Amino acid sequence: MAARKRTSATTAAGTDTKPSPPQTQETNTQIDPPISPPKKGIILKFCIFFSIPYFYLLYQHYKIEEDLKRSILVNAALSVAGFFVTLRMIPVASRYVLKRGLFGFDINKKGTHEGTVKVPESLGIVVGIVFLVLAILFQYFNFTADSNWLVEYNAALASICFMILLGFVDDVLDVPWRVKLILPSIAALPLLMAYAGNTTIIIPKPLVSYVGQEVLDLGWVYKLYMGLLAVFCTNSINIHAGLNGLEVGQTVVIASAILIHNLMQIGASSDPEYKQAHAFSIYLVQPLLATSLALLSYNWYPSSVFVGDTYTYFAGMTMAVVGILGHYSETLLIFFLPQVLNFLLSLPQLSGYVKCPRHRLPRFNPETGLLTGTRDGTLVNFYLRIFGPKSEKLLCIHLLLVQVDQEG
Amino acid sequence: MAARKRTSATTAAGTDTKPSPPQTQETNTQIDPPISPPKKGIILKFCIFFSIPYFYLLYQHYKIEEDLKRSILVNAALSVAGFFVTLRMIPVASRYVLKRGLFGFDINKKGTHEGTVKVPESLGIVVGIVFLVLAILFQYFNFTADSNWLVEYNAALASICFMILLGFVDDVLDVPWRVKLILPSIAALPLLMAYAGNTTIIIPKPLVSYVGQEVLDLGWVYKLYMGLLAVFCTNSINIHAGLNGLEVGQTVVIASAILIHNLMQIGASSDPEYKQAHAFSIYLVQPLLATSLALLSYNWYPSSVFVGDTYTYFAGMTMAVVGILGHYSETLLIFFLPQVLNFLLSLPQLSGYVKCPRHRLPRFNPETGLLTGTRDGTLVNFYLRIFGPKSEKLLCIHLLLVQALGCCFCFMLRYFLAGWYK
Repeated sequence: MAARKRTSATTAAGTDTKPSPPQTQETNTQIDPPISPPKKGIILKFCIFFSIPYFYLLYQHYKIEEDLKRSILVNAALSVAGFFVTLRMIPVASRYVLKRGLFGFDINKKGTHEGTVKVPESLGIVVGIVFLVLAILFQYFNFTADSNWLVEYNAALASICFMILLGFVDDVLDVPWRVKLILPSIAALPLLMAYAGNTTIIIPKPLVSYVGQEVLDLGWVYKLYMGLLAVFCTNSINIHAGLNGLEVGQTVVIASAILIHNLMQIGASSDPEYKQAHAFSIYLVQPLLATSLALLSYNWYPSSVFVGDTYTYFAGMTMAVVGILGHYSETLLIFFLPQVLNFLLSLPQLSGYVKCPRHRLPRFNPETGLLTGTRDGTLVNFYLRIFGPKSEKLLCIHLLLVQVDQEG
Repeated sequence: MAARKRTSATTAAGTDTKPSPPQTQETNTQIDPPISPPKKGIILKFCIFFSIPYFYLLYQHYKIEEDLKRSILVNAALSVAGFFVTLRMIPVASRYVLKRGLFGFDINKKGTHEGTVKVPESLGIVVGIVFLVLAILFQYFNFTADSNWLVEYNAALASICFMILLGFVDDVLDVPWRVKLILPSIAALPLLMAYAGNTTIIIPKPLVSYVGQEVLDLGWVYKLYMGLLAVFCTNSINIHAGLNGLEVGQTVVIASAILIHNLMQIGASSDPEYKQAHAFSIYLVQPLLATSLALLSYNWYPSSVFVGDTYTYFAGMTMAVVGILGHYSETLLIFFLPQVLNFLLSLPQLSGYVKCPRHRLPRFNPETGLLTGTRDGTLVNFYLRIFGPKSEKLLCIHLLLVQALGCCFCFMLRYFLAGWYK
């Protein structure tokens, strides 16, 4: 759950608080953007670092067909354009979002001056809309498309679009958490309907003697698995949150790993359908990565904007979609290892076995500026209890490095 | 534009007003729904009236293949289920929407007690989400689907979903009207990309000698026309508004006409691709009609809920989509005749040639309870100036009858011009 105290959200008793800023607030009538400029330095460092393996794999290490290479590069160019559009639109959207009262206060800065700043929420909507436009326009440029591909691609777009819609509705209307859990299943329906691929799984060799056959057709059970994967990916990112830049950061790390994985699989394979599946994944992951980087430049510590459930649901769904349509969902789950760990740590509280508070954040000490781990069952708290109190920024970097380590 | 004074929207100067109801408001802590029960009587009357031509055409008048008939009926059953789900969800959503401060006051009741009630806005989101779920699930039941169909269908779903998203973002964030105009073009992109059909038009017989050929391939100009059609359908419903039940009512009338038209075309044709195109349209219009009827039962005079730009954009886009993919967009435009008329009447003010106020509603007299036409350029005001002051409910009924007459006129026109025109 987004761990920002929302003055605009209702409490359990159902009473209302005043969400819109008072009329004396100057920021709303100012013409300059009310949020800090983007932290472009971090983004630049990441891009330089990442482009090395990217271009090496694409050009040097593997021999990839010209057509496919061209499609991938056109998609990359489109994604870069999307990065700049998102960068430009976030301050604009922030003004509108603040006007409507969609903001929160940074709990991890409570007691300091920054803890009183109204931080605009739900900026994931900008990322989502730009992503959709990029993904839609790319169809025009894809030189290797056929009819089956178009069905799956449009179903993927419909699913991701539906998830962004439901995520934004959740951010605005604050739906009960039981409904939140099934929203991704509903959003995944277009994908489940259009999925015309294999519902078979390959039995691991050591288990073949127990099962009796090498390949097992799961049929509708496979589709159930797909639906659950969507629920898991979205909600697991949502609960591994609470630090500035953690949600977007983990998405950037996983998306980069997915991209590298796709390139490696394309390069090492000779089966055209297999390559097509991984190319499909690339065409959706590159825009995800680019638009997320633009959001990260504002969301990185200290956060100028919050991403909202809109972003975490959108990112989780996109990654579930590419994992399903690229046929590498087991690999995807391994990329999600920290999220799995966080989910397992959270189970006692989520299931109600242990008392579950509204927020399960670490405790912030305004004097030292450090976070201390509480006894709540999250990876954030667990890490703090093992390695001692840390500043928010350092903790986030550590957790992202853990994520990177898992990808390797 | 939705003609409800929104306390939660910002004024031009950018100052904020307090949108959420005060903590002493009882409705928010009550467990019973804060809105009046649905007006089921009107819906029942409409259904009985409409089912006569519907079943007559489907079973009696034409011989339609079993497969196709079964698909249409399964879709109808799904739509009926959707009707009840929407009916159930609207009061639930109203509570959440009120909590968030998405409400308005009914301007056409200003000065009376009803004018002080907080009416929940943007209930089009419920209709949109239920519609999407119905449309997605129907794919499982469609017995006559092939690969091309699936691409167009999913592109249609993506377009409609994108429009609902942009419409809801508009309702929440109140985007500037210039941006509002291009939102439908952006939402129509999946459709334009996936459209693999003909970009040719058939020249009307009398003009063949002038043009030089019978069939003209417009290429990308046709796609431009498709994009503009989406912009027109959405915004034209949006501006022909302001009375309780007008936006949903006009959609229900046009959707019914579309449905009758589709059934007639399927029955009268022997070309399987042609029939498939019209069947496609039926599969999206039936859920639209059913969910809209559920919304109408709350939105009809006196409105318990307002529909928001979410609904008008969603409805307009869905109808543009079916007109495009069913290849009958010219007929669709004739169904939209009152909207075209309203658009033409509005042009001077929309273009800025004549001063354009925030709302172009008729003037309400609290004592008599009647609306009087102002000099604003809308069909609502024009009708009032010609036929004299009316109550809001009667005026809405009149305008919907005008819409229905327009549709009948279209059917007559097609009947008389058949063979001469195409």
